[in-house]
Amino acid sequence: MPHVLFYFFSFLTVATAVGVVVNKNAVNAALCLLLSLVGVAGLFALLDAYLLAALLVLVYAGAVVALFLFIVMLLDTQGGTRKPFKRLTAVASTVGLALLVTGLATLVSRTQFATVAVPTAAGQAPVGAVLKHYAEMLFTTYLLPVQVVGFLLLIAMLGVIVLSRKHAVPEETK
Amino acid sequence: MNIDYSLFFRAMQPESLLIEAALAIIILDLTVMRRKDLSARLNVASLVGALAVALAAVLALRNGAMGEILNGVLNLDTLAVATRVGVLGLTLLVLGIGTGGARIRNPAEYVVIVLCAAVGFMLMASAQQLLLVFLALELASLSLYVLAGFDKSRPESAEAGLKYFLFGGMAAAFLLFGFSLLYGLTGTLDLPGMSVVMAATGFHPMLAVAMVMILVGFGYKAAAAPFHLWAPDAYQGAPAPAAAFIASASKLAGFVLFTRLLWGSASQGQMLGATPGWVPVVWLLAGASMLVGNLAALAQSNVRRLLAYSAIAHAGALLLGVIASGRSGPGPLFFYLTTYGIATAGAFGVFHVLENQGGAQKLKDLAGLHRRSPLLAGCLMVFILSLAGVPPLSGFFGKFAVFAAALSPAGLGSPTGWLAVFAIAMSAVGLYYYLLILKEALVRPAAAGATAVKVPAAAALTLVAAAGLTLIFGMFPSLLLRWF
Repeated sequence: MPHVLFYFFSFLTVATAVGVVVNKNAVNAALCLLLSLVGVAGLFALLDAYLLAALLVLVYAGAVVALFLFIVMLLDTQGGTRKPFKRLTAVASTVGLALLVTGLATLVSRTQFATVAVPTAAGQAPVGAVLKHYAEMLFTTYLLPVQVVGFLLLIAMLGVIVLSRKHAVPEETK
Repeated sequence: MNIDYSLFFRAMQPESLLIEAALAIIILDLTVMRRKDLSARLNVASLVGALAVALAAVLALRNGAMGEILNGVLNLDTLAVATRVGVLGLTLLVLGIGTGGARIRNPAEYVVIVLCAAVGFMLMASAQQLLLVFLALELASLSLYVLAGFDKSRPESAEAGLKYFLFGGMAAAFLLFGFSLLYGLTGTLDLPGMSVVMAATGFHPMLAVAMVMILVGFGYKAAAAPFHLWAPDAYQGAPAPAAAFIASASKLAGFVLFTRLLWGSASQGQMLGATPGWVPVVWLLAGASMLVGNLAALAQSNVRRLLAYSAIAHAGALLLGVIASGRSGPGPLFFYLTTYGIATAGAFGVFHVLENQGGAQKLKDLAGLHRRSPLLAGCLMVFILSLAGVPPLSGFFGKFAVFAAALSPAGLGSPTGWLAVFAIAMSAVGLYYYLLILKEALVRPAAAGATAVKVPAAAALTLVAAAGLTLIFGMFPSLLLRWF
């Protein structure tokens, strides 16, 4: 049963991810992204990372994609008549894909994968399985990364304001 | 899990000081300085920022090497402290040369983003956990993308920002893929724990894939040869202080981080450096960078593009230093990075002053600089000769230290030794185009109607200080090298 679910969610994730790229309509692309994220959340749930799955659905599928849709509708962008890919792009991506598949196939067929022993401390619940443990990690090991992410978002916001704001005073150079 | 938070806060003093100063600058700009003109706002913001940076450097020096912080998420060893102080010094230099130009439209935001980038660089120098490594790198990179596109009055700046952003985002994707493979292979994010697991399990083919991904990522970020295409456009279009920042502090922090990922720190064993087969790849990157950078620089007529290709060539020499630092320690590499950073940021500073006076970026616009501004011409001479590696200046000693470290283990018996010989030959090529700049500035008479260049006081002070440092580190290299 988990196998079936794994293949189902993997297929959902990959297929809708392709949909995000090839869709001309921005709203459809955003909805595909939503489905793709749901697929990833399903994969997380299969790995017993229930908290992560819930957070992914809440934060990404819920908040971020809703924001995407909001912005897309606000800007009212149309797909236009332009073809999404030029022929050169298509050829280049096919060659790249072929190389990648060949490389991965050789790697998988030629090597014996030794199972790498993942060292976990004895008696410790896996990270994220227990909410308390998760919270503890958040204030010890991952304290600094969380802070850094906060400032990263601040910079992104500042950057958007600086780069996109139109100035009332016209250019004197022009 | 017990954490000594007071120790953590003390270790983070320089970073938190910079962040607090950044927030204070935004508040100040929105309240007190709201109605003032642009140059006054830039001067106040730069002054507050510079004070904070200087104070942070003092704090970083006073705290010194504190060892492992927060259960090993950070490791403040000597290299980390030296890089922190180096990054802060270069930030001060960038803030100094940025003043006096009235072209920046959002001055407070500009200073804030510079400070945040500095925080990213400082964390890169001490991070011991892959998650923090990646986030610090992205904090710094994101700030640099914005800085590159900051000048909205010129379309080139937007082009620079966009190209840098696209290439940088690609590089980040490669790097993240490599990191995730490493995590999957070892089951831990901590670099010391990772090296233990890797030593225990031995070589795994996926490790080579991860290594290639990481090399590609860092190759893009460092503008090494096959991945260098963004550099000339970014250096040409970005505002000069931003280009100086990209060329100096980001190189310093990036290469220190790369060395750490490869060789680990003194207390722990080798990191990825134990993976077989990476040395020839880095060897090729280094050789190609030196070849492409030096030869392409010969054909440039734009000084900024010329400096960009010279930066690619220097990246090749720095990669040689990365190979060599496995045996000799990071000392020579750090010396090269610091002195190169000061010289190249200084040169961009000189061009920034000239551009503010209406000059374009062509080589021939430098004509007669010795008459128009003896101070700028003198400083430019020191910086350019240092980049070329002429003896009394620090650039010579940086090259000497790195090449000696590359040659010392086996002489010409190893490929690394031959690469060092190639690098020396390429330095001779480099001397030609560096002297072309000086010929325009010092020999050629000024064009008719050229007026004297007014140098803003803060920029003049910064440039003289940078030129002085270039001289002092050249004559007393032990000032830097005794740290290691």
